[in-house]
Amino acid sequence: MSATVSLPTGSRARRRLLMFEPYLYSAPALLLVAATTLIPIVIGISYAFRNIMLLDPTSGDFVGLDNFRELLRDASFWNALKNTVVWTASCVGFQFLFGLILALMLNRPFPGRALIQATIFLPWAIPTFLVGMNWSWLLNPAIGPLPHWAYALGLMNAPDNILSDPDYALWGPIFAGIWWGTPFFAITLLAALQSIPREIYEAAEIDGAGGLERFRSITLPFLAPTMVITVLLRTIWVANSPELIVVMTKGGPADASQIVASYVFTQAYQGLNFGYASAVATALVLLLLVYAFLLIAIRQTMLGRR
Amino acid sequence: MASIDIKNVRKDFGPVSVLKGVDLAIASGEFAVLVGPSGCGKSTLLRLIAGLEDASSGEIHIGGRRVDDLPPRDRDIAMVFQSYALYPHMNVRDNMGYSLRLKRTPQARIAEIVGRAGAKLGLEALGERKPRELSGGQRQRVAMGRAIVRNPKAFLFDEPLSNLDARMREQMRFEIRKLHRDLGATSVYVTHDQIEAMTMADRIVAMNAGIIQQVGTPLELYDDPANVFVAGFIGSPAMNFLTGEARRGETGVALSVGGKAFCTLPQAVAVPEDGRVTIGIRPERIRIGVGAGQAVEAAADLVETTGAASVVHVDLAGQAMKIFTTERLQLSQGQRIPLAIEAKDVCLFDPAGGGRLR
Repeated sequence: MSATVSLPTGSRARRRLLMFEPYLYSAPALLLVAATTLIPIVIGISYAFRNIMLLDPTSGDFVGLDNFRELLRDASFWNALKNTVVWTASCVGFQFLFGLILALMLNRPFPGRALIQATIFLPWAIPTFLVGMNWSWLLNPAIGPLPHWAYALGLMNAPDNILSDPDYALWGPIFAGIWWGTPFFAITLLAALQSIPREIYEAAEIDGAGGLERFRSITLPFLAPTMVITVLLRTIWVANSPELIVVMTKGGPADASQIVASYVFTQAYQGLNFGYASAVATALVLLLLVYAFLLIAIRQTMLGRR
Repeated sequence: MASIDIKNVRKDFGPVSVLKGVDLAIASGEFAVLVGPSGCGKSTLLRLIAGLEDASSGEIHIGGRRVDDLPPRDRDIAMVFQSYALYPHMNVRDNMGYSLRLKRTPQARIAEIVGRAGAKLGLEALGERKPRELSGGQRQRVAMGRAIVRNPKAFLFDEPLSNLDARMREQMRFEIRKLHRDLGATSVYVTHDQIEAMTMADRIVAMNAGIIQQVGTPLELYDDPANVFVAGFIGSPAMNFLTGEARRGETGVALSVGGKAFCTLPQAVAVPEDGRVTIGIRPERIRIGVGAGQAVEAAADLVETTGAASVVHVDLAGQAMKIFTTERLQLSQGQRIPLAIEAKDVCLFDPAGGGRLR
């Protein structure tokens, strides 16, 4: 009698255990992710609501949205946001354009192609820090040739260092960024170009398509998915990379070449204002999240169309 | 519709000579099949006709007009590729109408021509589909539709059935042939498959190592091969080749294999000085049992059967030979069987050059 009563309760407990089973299996991995990723993010964001000055031992109080209120009034932040758009659009735009041209040139055989290909991909292998140092020297009239050349060509009124000119300082890191990032587009677009079957070009040639028409009706549609994905990904990477700016101008002169990512770095490690830096970083994360959702939506519609 | 004339065409890729002086005349409306093993130059010859490669020397005429220096689009030809080469981002209708759109044909006219070609190929219901949504056979049809729509002087086919499974290949073989009968357009068809060549061609052009070996109707090549290559390439199972001796006698040329009498040819044949010859005989021309021809004894080795017919592998004086028969035989290994061979079925070849001895 008692056995027949206890059987259902036993099986209910069993069923509950079975329900938890998948979570138990994945628990170690989830704990690891939480410990290494989620907790630091939460702590980092929590700084944005506190007043943390590294040199002030009395700081650390909870200040609510004060940091964000200050952010909205901070002209340097808004300038950095504007610069982020200029920096990202120029870097990615020119990297893409030059990368596409290089890929198209490297896609047809010519003597010495392997050597030129290897040379062109070299910048990508150089650490950004070195790229920044190199370009700041190239742009420095005391040791670099570029200002003198620009002056000789009539592009500049005097062989000055553009890195110290508030109106043009951002373009120094942009040049370096274009030089450094072009190979990435060249590599990925070349790989996509090489995956286009030759017979399709031949079929189009027989169908009567000229060179430009073949590019428009075959090359572009074939490259489009790669183009969209690489441009969208690069946009996030470039918007998030302050190294070149930090190395070349430190965001100066007077925050003129600051982008949001470098502004975070400057606030945290030069101003030692971790609370405010975290607030700026949180704003950047929110903006990029919006962008990332857009990216995913575009990708989904593209995959849906396939 | 136009004839295609190829005059002493050579093609070298660097130091490698792929076509070593090819002369070929394809009549207007003819279905010519270029056949040969891979690397024999048949695809290169087709690409030269299409204009996708430039000849190193020689002349190519289509419909009496010299086309060597013209780009592919001005040669008025259409080509069907092995991989179909459909434009993946265009639907079936746009794939077929692309060449017309490039010629700025009015929309209504394009729709009409594409519709007619689609109906001919049974593609009416697939107009909106993209190539990736089609089966292999359907893609093949679209590729042919794209060729038909252009109403070209000549159709060029580059191994168009190689990517299809056996059953589909059989069906498309039949359909391409029917299509050619309807359109009557000059066609050049490249394949490595001798069965496709035999079943489809008005005339076969057998190629090997960059040289045309023989040109003729399928049965001419089958019955009267010009050399060992053609004899061995055309026909399945392949012709048997035996090393033997030929001796001129009073009643004709007596052939022997391994010292045993094989067959006596009544007609006079130019035999090499030393008497050594390659004897060729088709597996389906050898009869098992004592019959009209001369009797030869062989030892059975193995029987392969497909149901409809069997291939009997036998050993004749130490040389392997195949016999094709529709009879159902129970043979044990080593069993001695008599074979009947008729003189008219025997071809003799020069063992040195491979040329036919007549």
